[in-house]
Amino acid sequence: MKLLIRIFRYHIFASIIALVLGASLFYVSVRFLIDREVNQELFSSQAKVSWQLRNIDRLPVYILQLGDSLQLNAVRFPRKPSLTDNTLFDKTTREFQPYRQLTFYEQVEGQWYRVTISKQLIQRRQLLSAVVMTVTFIAALLLILLLLLNNWLSERVWRPFYKTLGSLDAYKLETHEILQFPKEPTIEFDQLNKSVSQLTARLATTYQNLKEFTENAAHEIQTPLAVIMSKIEGLLQDETLREPQIMSLLEVSEAANRLSKLNNVLLLLTKIENHQFLAGNEEINLVTIINRKLRDLEDLIETRRINMQTSLVPTGPVMNAALAEILVNNLLTNAIRHNVDQGTIKISLEPGKLVVSNTGNPIEVAPEQMFERFRKVSTNSSSIGLGLALVKTICQVNEMDLAYTVDSNWHVLTVSWK
Amino acid sequence: MKLLLIEDEKALAVSIVTYFQRENFICEWAPDYETAVEKISIYRYDCVLVDIMLPDGSGLDVIRALKRKYPDTGIITISAKNSLDDKIVGLNLGADDYLTKPFHLSELNARVQAVIRRRSFQGNQNIVFGEIKIDPAQHLVQVSGHEVVLTRKEYDLLIYLISNKNRVLTKESIAEHLWGDDADLMDNFDFIYTHIKNLRKKLMDKGCPDYLKSMYGVGYKFSEK
Repeated sequence: MKLLIRIFRYHIFASIIALVLGASLFYVSVRFLIDREVNQELFSSQAKVSWQLRNIDRLPVYILQLGDSLQLNAVRFPRKPSLTDNTLFDKTTREFQPYRQLTFYEQVEGQWYRVTISKQLIQRRQLLSAVVMTVTFIAALLLILLLLLNNWLSERVWRPFYKTLGSLDAYKLETHEILQFPKEPTIEFDQLNKSVSQLTARLATTYQNLKEFTENAAHEIQTPLAVIMSKIEGLLQDETLREPQIMSLLEVSEAANRLSKLNNVLLLLTKIENHQFLAGNEEINLVTIINRKLRDLEDLIETRRINMQTSLVPTGPVMNAALAEILVNNLLTNAIRHNVDQGTIKISLEPGKLVVSNTGNPIEVAPEQMFERFRKVSTNSSSIGLGLALVKTICQVNEMDLAYTVDSNWHVLTVSWK
Repeated sequence: MKLLLIEDEKALAVSIVTYFQRENFICEWAPDYETAVEKISIYRYDCVLVDIMLPDGSGLDVIRALKRKYPDTGIITISAKNSLDDKIVGLNLGADDYLTKPFHLSELNARVQAVIRRRSFQGNQNIVFGEIKIDPAQHLVQVSGHEVVLTRKEYDLLIYLISNKNRVLTKESIAEHLWGDDADLMDNFDFIYTHIKNLRKKLMDKGCPDYLKSMYGVGYKFSEK
């Protein structure tokens, strides 16, 4: 929920409480005034009726019109005068109406009469509806004004906030950019912008340090590895060595080789993930890369008697040329490595899609899991298990889709791009 | 032949120097930038091996200085960084070749010989080993005057074996020389055996003695003995 809408809700809530309370107070006070008015009218009527009855025996016609009705009843004893509210049936409108009645007793020639003057309280109902209408009108007006104000606020006052949010959304760590903002008159937004600037500055430094560390560590490992390998090579030339010693040396050499390759691929993965390869700006023709790679792998393909079927349309995604090379390389070597002897590889390249399928042994794990690092089907394979992870990472940073499906003994890897 | 190795890692330098001395090279060693610049200003080398990252300077500066003084000297850069940038900068400055650590000494040896061959005789020097004569400019292989038709890989293999004659070459180093990064595609090294077998057969068919010796478990050796 938008912040302004949240605030707006509280505004509505507070306004309604204020309006209801205000309306009640208004109603009570106006009613009090009307009641006093009615009472005064009734008392002044009483004074007129009493005076008439005492001084003139007959009641004149105009007196009978005092209030809304006037009744005279002969009674034996007088009682205390009273002022009561009653609901009486009105014959003209055929409905019950509220009335205020003043009852008092007057003696005319020894006979007591009860005089009841009734006054319709029609104003009270009108008042209520007037108050309700006014309050509704004010409430509606207030809400509309609040809505307009909120819109204006979100456009004007909140503009710096949305601007900051936008630049944070577009922020790319790998560009080492430190976000800078112009000074804002609103203290909160200015503070926010300062914090964001500081944060991105710290991020850039940390990122840079981490990157340097990773790279340095990877590079520093290569020199000791070179020492190990050169010493082994020197030792292998020694003709007095016996077979078990030679075997141990070869195993050490193999391990060192593997470590070096592992290190290289991990370094490459890190570089790709860190977006250290410049984004390409032109379409790479994958056909050239595929054909070159197939030529390199020619004798390997022939030795394993792998049948090659290609259907290539000159096209390709927009990406870094070196990464495209690595992508194709890993897809093809993967298809060869996990193929069976006398198997088949099908490469199909069409606009927006590269499909590499190869025959191979069925795998037991879910195909998607093959993209995980160090995931291998066989433990004795010389592969280090990073080939498909590398492909996946390249696809991810270039916003391409990578799918792996297994259909009986066919393994199909599909790379698709827009 | 005179070599200069500019490398700050002593253990590695010792291995390399020993290796080339056995090949009858005169191999000198400079552990840092200062020594390297001093040496190249006094002596003339056939080939200089430069580590790009030196404790007191950049190997690229050594290449610049060397290019000014002796533009004909062969240069091979050695770097722990497998970065395209360094490679391109080095080659643009006039380096002949580029090796990334770690490497096989036999690979370094083959590269040094190729550079020297190209530099000293404009690539026209034939490689001769017993009855075998190779003309690198035309990729022509002859045994006692008869041409032997080799595939690209067999030709590369032969050059590599002769460059590292009388030495034990591991299957690993052969695989890496021939297939580079794809070497690990070979789950076993039977694959090299196929090439070795074919090469041996083609040479022997033309009357060449069997110079190729299989060293059980380790690899192969190309020698007259």
